Amino acid sequence: MRRWAATVAAIVLVAVAVVSAQSGSSPTPRPRQEVLVCAAASLADVMQTVATAYEKRAGVRVVVNTGASNTLARQIAAGAAVDLFVSADEAQMDAVRGEIVAGTRIDLLSNQLAVAVPSDRPRTLRSLRDLTDPAFKRIAIGDPAAVPAGVYAKAYLEKLGIWTVVSAKVVPSASVRLALAAVENGAADAAIVYRTDIAPTRRALLALAIPITDGPRIVYPAAVIRGGHNRDGATRLLTWLRGAEAAKVFEAAGFIRAD
Amino acid sequence: MQTEILEIALFTTAAALAATVIMLPPGIALAWVLARHRFRGKAVVETLASLPLVMPPVATGLLLLWLVGRRGPVGRLLAPFGIEIVFTPVAVVLAMAIMGLPLLVRTARAGFEQVTKRYEQMAETLGARPWRVFTTVTLPLASRNILAGALLGFTRALGEFGATIVVAGSIPGRTRTLAVGIYTYTETGQDARAAALLVVSVTLAFGAALIANRLARVD
Amino acid sequence: MALETTPGGEPPRFELRFSLTQGAFTVAPDLEIAARAVALFGPSGSGKTSILEAIAGLRRPQRGRIALRGRVLCDTATHINVPVRDRHVGYVPQDVLLFPHLDVKKNITYARRRLRQGSGAQANPPGMDMPDLDHLLGLTTLMDRKVAGLSGGERQRVALARALYSGPDVLLLDEPLAAVDLARRRLILDTLVAIRDDLQVPLVYVTHSPDEARAIADYAIVLDEGKVVAAGKPQDVLP
Repeated sequence: MRRWAATVAAIVLVAVAVVSAQSGSSPTPRPRQEVLVCAAASLADVMQTVATAYEKRAGVRVVVNTGASNTLARQIAAGAAVDLFVSADEAQMDAVRGEIVAGTRIDLLSNQLAVAVPSDRPRTLRSLRDLTDPAFKRIAIGDPAAVPAGVYAKAYLEKLGIWTVVSAKVVPSASVRLALAAVENGAADAAIVYRTDIAPTRRALLALAIPITDGPRIVYPAAVIRGGHNRDGATRLLTWLRGAEAAKVFEAAGFIRAD
Repeated sequence: MQTEILEIALFTTAAALAATVIMLPPGIALAWVLARHRFRGKAVVETLASLPLVMPPVATGLLLLWLVGRRGPVGRLLAPFGIEIVFTPVAVVLAMAIMGLPLLVRTARAGFEQVTKRYEQMAETLGARPWRVFTTVTLPLASRNILAGALLGFTRALGEFGATIVVAGSIPGRTRTLAVGIYTYTETGQDARAAALLVVSVTLAFGAALIANRLARVD
Repeated sequence: MALETTPGGEPPRFELRFSLTQGAFTVAPDLEIAARAVALFGPSGSGKTSILEAIAGLRRPQRGRIALRGRVLCDTATHINVPVRDRHVGYVPQDVLLFPHLDVKKNITYARRRLRQGSGAQANPPGMDMPDLDHLLGLTTLMDRKVAGLSGGERQRVALARALYSGPDVLLLDEPLAAVDLARRRLILDTLVAIRDDLQVPLVYVTHSPDEARAIADYAIVLDEGKVVAAGKPQDVLP
C-alpha cells in the first residue's frame, strides 16, 4: 500500500512538473510581460509570424490562441483574460462589445472571397453566376449560420440575386477549412472560401477571385479587451499591427489591409 | 518541427496522467457509493456522473467555461487569489479529468459490485473499522477493475478535444494538446504538422491499448 | 468491559431471546443457556446459520435480545445494537471466506490485537500468540502459502487461527467439518475440544450431524423451519 502511494505521488509530481514547465513559468497567474492574443483560425499562421516579428522588435512575448471566432467570443464573454481579440467578422466582435476597451476597435485586415475547384478539374469562372451552371452539383461554403466566411458568401450571393438557386446545391461546412477540404477530395465541385486559404494547398485551384470592389466588405476587426492583464502591451501591439512592418507580413500572406 | 511535436506529445501525456491521478479519488469514492448504497436521489447522482459521457464534449466544455471563467461561480471565487483556469494547462487537465471520470466510475463500480459484501463482513467480525475494511479488503479486491477504469480514463483524456478547446484554447506551448493541435493545423492548412501529430496520437493510443490488453490477460 | 468469567467452574451464559424474520420463515429462539459449547442442529434451511449471523451482528432481529457472558450485544427494547466490529466474535462461516488477496500469514494476523482489558481474574483473554496458534493448529508449513492452494482441512485450520488470533469471546462455527476429508475430521474435532476446554473459548457449532453435535456440545438446540423444536442436553434431544 505504501509503495503504491509513493509511485502514484511520484507520477503526479512528474506530471505536474511537465505541465507547468509548459509555460516556462507557473501556469497561473500570467506574467505581465506577455500579451495574449485571440485570433480567428484563418489568421493562425500569419499571426504567429507577426507575433515572432514583434517579439524580436519589442522584446515582449506574444502568445497567440487561435480558434473559431464564435468560440473565442464565448471565451471572452465568460471573462477569459484576453488582451487582444482579432475576429474574422464584425458579428463576433459585436457580440463582445461589452468587453472592449472604449475606442480601441479598428478594422485591421481584409480578405478576398474566392472560388476553389478541385485541381484535377481546373476551370476558370468569369463570375459567381457561373455557379448556377448544372455542372456544379455541390458547392461547399462555411455554414452561413455560424462561420464568418459563410456569412460573407451568402451575403454576396444574395446581392447577386442567385442565393435561392445556389442554396439548393450548398453543402454547409463547419468551417472554411472543411469547405476547402470537400473540394480537395472531390466531394464538392466548388467551394467559396477566402483567397488566402487556397494558396497553400495543391489539391485545389483558384477558379475566381471576387474583386474587392464588387464583393462583400470582409473585415477582420481587432480590439483591446478589458479583462486582459496587459492593456498597455495590447495597445502597443495593436498600434504596431497597423504599421508598415506588420503590413508587409500580412500582405505576403495574401491578406489585405483594411484601410 | 520535431521539437514542437515532441513537446506537444509530452505535454499531452503528462496532462493526461495528471488528469487520471486527479480523477481517481473522487471516481473511486463515487463508484463505491453507487455500488454499495441506496439513497434518495441516487438516480440523479448516477445521471450527473454520466453526463460528460452523454453530452456532446463541446457542450461540456461550454458548461466548464461558464463554471470556471472569471465571471462564473467557481472562477469568481478563485479570481481574487489571482488564480485563472481558462487558457491555462490547468484547464486542459480539468477538461481531461471531467471527460474521463464517467468511464472510471462505471468500470470501478462494476468492480466494487463484484466484490462480495461477505469479505467485508468477515473483516468487520475481525474488528476492522470501515476505513480499514475499505483499504485492506474492498479496494484490493476491486483493484483490477479500478486499474482498467483508470486506463480507460487515461485513454479518453489523451484523445480529449471538444471540451479542451473550449475551456483551454489552442495556445502553442501551453494548452495545445495532440488532439487540439491536429484540429488547429488542419484548420489552417498545415497538413504536414497535422499528419505528424496524428501519427503520434495513433501510436500512443496503440500503446495504451496494448497495456490494457496485457493487464486484462494477467488474470 | 469485562465479561463474566467463571474460573474453572460454571459454563458461560448465553441469552438468545429474539425473533428474526427472513423470507419464508421466522427464527425465534427463547432460551437462556449455560454451556461451554452449544450445537445448533437441524436440516438445511432450518435457520441455524441465521442464529449464528444474529449473534455475529450480521443480521438484526426485529425484536429481542442477545447477550453473551453478561454482555448485551443487542436489545431492541433499549435500542442497543453493538456494531459487528465491536462484538468480539470469531466467525468461521461455511465457505470459510479466507481473504483471497492475502497469504495465509496475513489472513491469520488480520485482526488488530486486542489489548488486555481489566485485570486479574476479571481480565478478558487477549488474542492468541502465533507460537500458541501454531502449536494448536500446526500452521508452520502453511504460513507462506497462498490461500488458493489450500485443502479443505487446511482452510479450516487457517480460519480457526484467524478467528482465535483476534481473541474472541465466542467462536461461531458453521459446519466446520463439511469441507474436510474424513481422515482429518477427528483432528479438527480434537482441536475444537481443546479450544473449548483448554482455552476456555465457548463455541456455537452449527451442524446437521448428530454425531458431531454429541461429540462437541454440552447443549443442543434442535431447529426445524425456524422453530426450536427441542433444546437441552444432546443425549436427550438429539436423534
